[in-house]
Order: sequence, then C-alpha cells, then structure tokens
Amino acid sequence: MKMKALLFGLFLLTLAFGLTACSGGSENTSSDTKDEKGSNSSEKVEIRFSWWGDTGRNEVYNAIIDKFEEKHPNITVKREFGGWGDYWDKLATQIAGGNAPDVVSMHQSYVSDYARRGALLQLDDAVKNGEIDLSDFPESAVDAGKVDDKIVMIAKGITMPGWAYNTALFDELGVEYPEMDWTWDDFAAKLAELDAAIDSDDQFASPDNGGGQLEPSFRHYLRQLGKDTFTEDGKLGFEKEDLVSWWTMWDDFRKKGYIPDAETGAEYANVPLEQNMFVTGKVALTQIPANQLSLYQEQFDSGELRMVRMPVMPDGENSEYIGAAFLSITEKSKHPKEAAMFIDYFVNAKEAWELFKVNQGPPASTDGSEFVKQFLEPADQRAVSFIQETLPYAHPAPVPPQGVGEIEQAFADNYDAIAFGQVSVEEAAEAFMETAKSIVE
Amino acid sequence: MASLKKMWRNNWVGYLFLAPWLIGFFFLGIIPIGSSLYLSFTSYDMFTPAEWTGLTNYAEIFADKKWWNSVKVTLVYVFIGAPLQLTFALAVAVLLNRGIKGLRVYRAIYYVPSLFGGSVAVAILWRQIFGGDGLINQFLSVFGIKGTNWISSPDTAIFTLIILTVWQFGAPMVIFLAGLKQVPNDLYEAATIDGAGKIKQFFKITLPLISPIIFFNLVMQIINAFQAFTPAYIVSGGSGGPLDSTLFYTLYLYQKGFTQFQMGYASALAWILLIAIAFVTALIFLSSKKWVYYQE
Amino acid sequence: METNKVSEPYRENINIHYMVNKKKIKPKGIVLHLFIIAVGILMLYPLLWMISSSFKPDSEIFKNISFLPTVFTFENYVIGWAGLSGVSFGKFFANTFFLVAVAIIGTVISCSMAAYAFARLEFAYKKIWFAIMLTTMMLPFHVTVIPQYIIFNKLDWVNTYLPLTIPKFLAGDGFFIFLMVQFIRTIPRELDEAAKMDGCGPIRLYSTLIMPLALPALITTMIFTFIWTWNDFFSQLLYIGDINLYTVALGLRMFLDAMGQNSWGAMFAMSTVSLIPLFALFIFFQRYLIEGITAGGVKG
Repeated sequence: MKMKALLFGLFLLTLAFGLTACSGGSENTSSDTKDEKGSNSSEKVEIRFSWWGDTGRNEVYNAIIDKFEEKHPNITVKREFGGWGDYWDKLATQIAGGNAPDVVSMHQSYVSDYARRGALLQLDDAVKNGEIDLSDFPESAVDAGKVDDKIVMIAKGITMPGWAYNTALFDELGVEYPEMDWTWDDFAAKLAELDAAIDSDDQFASPDNGGGQLEPSFRHYLRQLGKDTFTEDGKLGFEKEDLVSWWTMWDDFRKKGYIPDAETGAEYANVPLEQNMFVTGKVALTQIPANQLSLYQEQFDSGELRMVRMPVMPDGENSEYIGAAFLSITEKSKHPKEAAMFIDYFVNAKEAWELFKVNQGPPASTDGSEFVKQFLEPADQRAVSFIQETLPYAHPAPVPPQGVGEIEQAFADNYDAIAFGQVSVEEAAEAFMETAKSIVE
Repeated sequence: MASLKKMWRNNWVGYLFLAPWLIGFFFLGIIPIGSSLYLSFTSYDMFTPAEWTGLTNYAEIFADKKWWNSVKVTLVYVFIGAPLQLTFALAVAVLLNRGIKGLRVYRAIYYVPSLFGGSVAVAILWRQIFGGDGLINQFLSVFGIKGTNWISSPDTAIFTLIILTVWQFGAPMVIFLAGLKQVPNDLYEAATIDGAGKIKQFFKITLPLISPIIFFNLVMQIINAFQAFTPAYIVSGGSGGPLDSTLFYTLYLYQKGFTQFQMGYASALAWILLIAIAFVTALIFLSSKKWVYYQE
Repeated sequence: METNKVSEPYRENINIHYMVNKKKIKPKGIVLHLFIIAVGILMLYPLLWMISSSFKPDSEIFKNISFLPTVFTFENYVIGWAGLSGVSFGKFFANTFFLVAVAIIGTVISCSMAAYAFARLEFAYKKIWFAIMLTTMMLPFHVTVIPQYIIFNKLDWVNTYLPLTIPKFLAGDGFFIFLMVQFIRTIPRELDEAAKMDGCGPIRLYSTLIMPLALPALITTMIFTFIWTWNDFFSQLLYIGDINLYTVALGLRMFLDAMGQNSWGAMFAMSTVSLIPLFALFIFFQRYLIEGITAGGVKG
C-alpha cells in the first residue's frame, strides 16, 4: 500500500510539472478552419501553411512568414512542418480528413496524384487577374506548375539536374574535368578514364543511374530522342527498344566495373547525404539537382564542386525541364484570397527573396534569381549560374498520369532484377512494358 | 434466490468494469474498423469518394506477385524471428533471475536496445555492422573469409532484421522477469531439498508456473511480428529492398495505401492479414489447454 | 497445490541447503558473468556510439569512427536544446511528460478494470468480448488512420492532445488488458475465496486484493506505457500541428530532412537527453518488479 501511495504521488508530481510547464496554451487550441469566411482585408483571417524541411529551412520560412504578417497585420499564418516523408503522410491524411492547410508545399512527384484527384485549387484566374503575379517568371517555370494545362502550383525555387564532380579528386586522379556539353560517348569515355585511374576495387567512376526513378536520368535520355516518359494524354511515351538501349548501357558499365555492383548500390541506396557514395569517395561523379550543390560542397575539405549538364545526344534534342519546389492552395481552403496573397508575397517580395535566397533553388522570377546572387556563397553562385545557363534549354514536360507510383515501382523492381543478375535486360524490359501498359491503357 | 441475485449482480459488475473499454470500442474503435472493412470492398484513393468494387481487390491480391513475396518475407520473420527472440528473452530472464550480483544493472542494460526502436541511430549502426565494409566483414577477414554485403544482399537482408528483433528482446524479457518473480522461492528450495537439479526445477517448476506469461509473450510477439513495419525502414529506407527481400506485409500495405493512393486495396490487405493473425492466434489459444497452467 | 503441502515440513532445513548450494555456484559464476558482460556490451554499442557522436561536431560524426571525439564539443547540446523556431526542447520535454503521465494514469486504470472483468468476473458474452478485444490488435493501424482522423476532426480534437489521451482512458491498448489478464490469472483463486468468505464484494476484491497482487503487471504496464507513449511518433505527427504542443519524438524528427540538411549532432544530443527519463524510470521502477508481492500474499 505504501508503494502504491508513493507511485501515485509520483504521478501527481509529474502531472503537476507537466501542467505548469505547458500552461501556455496546451490542450484547448482548437483548429481554425471555422473562421469567418470574409475576404475583407480588415477582418482578421487565419490561414495555415505547411512545408517540408530541416531546421535551417524552418528558420528561413518562419522569418519570411513573420515579414508577411507584418505587412498584413490582419492575416495570421499558422505554421506546420515536418520531414519529407512525414510531410506527405500527414498531408494525405489531412486532405482525406477534410482538414488540410490552406497553403501547402507541393512537388512534381506528387502533384499529379493530388491535382488529378481534385485536392488542389486551380490558380489560372488568380494568375490572370494579378493576385499572383507571374509576369516575371520564365514561361518554362509557369508551365512546370501546370497539370492538364491548368496552373495548380507556383514555383518557389527552381533547379536543374546535372552531374557534379570534385576538382580536387579529378586533379588527384589526373583526369580532365568533364565538359559542360558532353555527349553520351564522352560520358562513357570519361567513366573508362576514371576507372583506369582509380586503383581500388572498392571505388567506382559513377553511381548506378540506370534504375531507381524514371526521372531525371531516364527521362532526359528519352527527351533527347524526341520522346518522353509519358505523353500529354497520359500514355507511355516510349518504346521497349528505348528502355532496352538505356538499361543495356548501364548494365554494360556494371560489367566493366565502372559502376558499383548491385549489393554495394543497395547498401547506399538510402543513406543520408553525409554518408553517400560521392561524399565518402566511393564514386567520382554524382548526379544531383543544382540546388544541392552547396550542401555537398560543405562535405568536402578540398576542391571545388562544379556542375555540367546531363550528357547530351549529338543529334538529339535538348532535354532540360525545370525541377522545382512549389506552393499550392488546397481545394477546400476557406481563404483562397489570403492564401493567394501569401503565395504572391512568398515568390515576389524582395524581403522574401532576401531571406529565401536559394533555399530550394533560386526564386523562379528572373529578377529574383539575379537579386539573390549577391547574398550567396561561391558554391551556391555556381549553382545559380548553372541553372541560369541551362534554363533556356528547358521546354515543357507533362506531369505524369495518375498511377505513376506503380509504374515507378515496376521500373525500380525490374532494373534491380537485372542488377542482381536475375533476369536479362530483354526480359526485364518486357516485364516492365507489360506492367506499365496495363496501368496506363 | 440469494445465488440468483449474486449472478445477476455479477453481470452488472462485469460490465461496470468493462465499461471504459466498451465505450472506447463503440465510439472510437468500431467506426474505423468497420470503415476499413467497407473500404476493402471499394476503390478508394483517399481524396475522392470510394467506389464499390466488390471482391475485385481480393481477387487482385491473390494474383499479385509482390503480395506473395511480402507474405513469404513476413512468415519467415514471424516464425523464425519471434520464437528466437522469445527464447533469448526467456533464457536471459532466467539467468538474471538467479540473483546475480548487479542484476539491476544488467537488466537495465539489456533493455537499452528496445528503447531505440527503429531510430535513425540503429539504421546507421546496422549498416556499419552488416554492410560491405562493416564490422562483421572486418572480423571475418581476420580469418581470411570474405563476407558478402549482409544488409543489401537479397538472400541475407531479412536475417539482419531478424537479428535486430532478437537484439531488442528487452521488452519480453522484462515481462518474463516479472513473471519469474511471481514464482515463490520456497518451491525451488523444497525441490532442491528433494534432490531435484536446476534443470529439472526449470522444467517442472519454472516453466509451468510462468506458462501464462510465456503464452502472453508468444501471442503478443507473433501479433506484433506479423505487423512489423519500422524494421524495414532500417535496412531499406522503406522500399522493402533489396529486391523486395525485406518487404514486410504492412510495408507493402503502406506503399499501396499512402504512396500509390490505393487505400481500398490496402484495406483488403489489412483484413487478409487480420484473418491470418486471428487464425494463428486461435491455434495458439487452442494449444494452450495442453501446456498453459493457471493457478485457478 | 501439491508443492505447497511439501514445503511446510522442510522450511527449517532450507537455509542450510541454500548455503551449501551457494558455494557450488561460484566457478560457473565467473564464466556466466563474463558472458553477461559481453552481451551487455553488444546491447550498449549503439548507445555508446550515439553518446560519443553527440559530443562531436557535425562534420566529424561520420568521418571519425572511433568513440573518442577528436574535437570534444558541447555545442550540439546547446543547439539542440534551443529547439526550433524559438521553442526550446525543454518545452517539448514538458509536453511529453504531461502526455505520458496522463497516458499512464488512463491506461493503468482502464486496462486493469477491463482485465479484472475478463480474468475474475463472469458476465454474459465475456468470451466474445475478449475475442473482439484481441482482434482489434490484429488490424494494421495504417488502414484505420484515416477514419480515425475523420472522427477526431469532426469532434474538433485535431491539434490538441485529446486524440492522444482520451483513448488511454478507454483502455485503447489491448496489449495491457491481455497482459494483466494473464498476470491476474496466476493469482490463486483460493485467495479470492478467502476474501469473499470474509464478505468482500467484487469491487473491494479488485482494489484490496487483486490490484496489489498484480503489482508487477501494473509496474510493467506503467513502464511500457511511458516508453511507448514517449516514442509514439506517428499519432503525434498526425494530431499535433502547433509547434508549442510538440513532443520530444516530433522534435527529434525535425533535425533530419532527407531532401535537405541534417543536424546530426543536435539530434544525437537530444536523443541522448531524451533517453535519460526513459532509463531513469526504468531503473527506478524495476525495483518493484523484483520484489513484487509473493510470499506475503500467498500465505495470507
């Protein structure tokens, strides 16, 4: 009995501690979507904004939001954020539960599923009547935010993919730096050159880029052939032969030892950036989006990281298209006007640019990306220059159809089967085409 | 009349004590459970209303190669991992129960792995131990053996996860210890006096008296093992790789539901799992009559 | 029970025999000790690695594999404690303690009540309810997440602690009901009979006999509820949006972002700190696990 009393006392203590410590607004903050519906600028309005990110980004975004609230004292912005994976789990649940934030961060890999299921508000009108001013955005940036020809998301930071290398490592190996406009032949030759210079069994010229996701590498390859992963109306945009030649090329590289074997690749597939193959020196090249250049640069004590384009096809077309992080308004938002004001501020205001800099790539607005250059570290400046240089090559890239998740899975699975030596390239390609066709047709 | 009154009284009392659980079940339990059953017969992408499709999901599941694979992976994990973990837990509990000096410290230390759950630290360390250049391979190379990449070879990846489960035996161990403490010491002393050795005491006294606890741990570990989800993230980052060798059933379910927006299909997957678990649990319950001993 | 009858006459001889046996244990004891220590190191390895990493600067964590930092720094703890967006980790701890305390109280009370009903009382449809209770644990939570969220949203409980606490008072965790049922069933019915003959009703039986005897089960429940609520990340993610309500588990997740920068040092530092209460609780309460109440209660 004495023990029970002791324990119970302990709980009361803990309870008391907890209660006093969180006396500042704990249990009864109710959700706010029941606010007044008016868009009258003198009424108090509350909107919710969610994003994915790390501690650094959270600071930046909070600062931007604070400035917005200063400028519009009648609007309060409630902030919600999480890590990448958690963000999407939570967003899906919130939308399914009818409780989604007003402004959400959006991404190309998810927008098709969200937009085509009616979860996002169409923004064409808001753009047309200037509520969201995109007059300074390059055409390709605006297009990047369209699904089925309707604008559903606005780019907050844009980026372009490319291949990166470390000057110090190349100097050490005695290999010349790759050219900006290198071709696939150049690429293969460079891998061979690196392989010859690298002395160990444990290091490779390049990571395996043949599988994984459909974008960006495979998609760039297809676009150079004048094709694409999917057509405008959601069918497959390529033939089996294209896939076979792509997978054969990479399988070849693996057989020659230019790229890691399947097991090593799998081991590093999900490691954090600090441990990935490029940072730990296991591979000499890496394919990354330009906005991550500075993140990688920080991991190196010597040498400069520079970027070159995705390898091109001599007689092929330009393959570039914009990658970005976006902002959308959810369909059920009760304050679309205020939400639009917020988005407009985020992508156009000088104060916002100054804080954002290149957090997810430079601002999409041409003025914006020029403006932020002055605040940047060298690595970021190189990244922005790279983006500005490759931007003119970009042309529209249709958003994939619904159900692409399954196709992506089939792509990764079948390629892995090749990598682990279980099937031939022919068989894997055949299996993939069958699965993919059954999903889109 | 007196005994009748008593019986009636018991009915009422029983429900009184059960009331909190009943309220919870009727207000917060039955609707989600019922919904998921309903959704399993529909095509539901979470954002648009569900459409009735009857048994289509179930039919598709049985033709789904990935599903069969996830079943295989899960069965291996359940029927190798759970018993292995419990054996360890019981063995260590019995050892610690002997009154070893520093018992408390050891018990706390052995519990530490369970505190880590599926955290990032474990993921990093598991790679450091079982990876291509990991500690295990470094150890093997001393003997001239070249180890494979344990954590990313399709044949061995699942076993690194089984080892993870066994390593986290702390929770069932604590429960075993609590159960062992319930066994009165004088029983052992009397048996020692009667000439029974430690092993005989273990089988004739310890095991029968803690059989309700063994039963509990067995049922719960199996139920949990069937639904294991976080360990997969440790090895494959949620992809179930390499080559789906760590694609746990609930991981596949999560992929189908949240990543591929096929919540109807995922619900059907869930109910098939429920039936399987219920079946295995029922078998264990039936068998319990033979080996579980209650002092009632 | 046969063994009870046997033990009585031999009790005087027990001490002598026990001392004799004690002498025999010694040589085996050393090997045993070594084994236990070795296994102990295996158990502690990740903890040691994490603690040592928490004292290394971010850039060193993955480059230097040894346990000793070349540069010993406290900055991770400072940065980590500062938390996010002006809300310190201290607040996260306070929030989590609150949640956990409420969860423990709710779980112990409601689950022990249900367990008592299943283990000792007779009532109509008891077996069916028990089967249903077990079955609710067999459905993977990912498929009930959305309907549950919708319910809580309609009740306007989202972004409060209510979805995380109220279910605890409604015996939401079948695991503990089942655990306590099994423990209660190890208590001999003769004790019940004795108490009933003294005029004890079912309610008094619960509070004065069964609950004290089931103390190991209650302690176990408390320990596990604490640890699981502390680590229950997914529910907290879904139902807590306001950073002022954040818990430790959510706060820890904030340090990592797959697409961006990771603050490993700060995360390991705060993870280490967050293990302290878990560990402390465990050590504090396991004493009660050892002692329990055995001989006293049985002899009545």
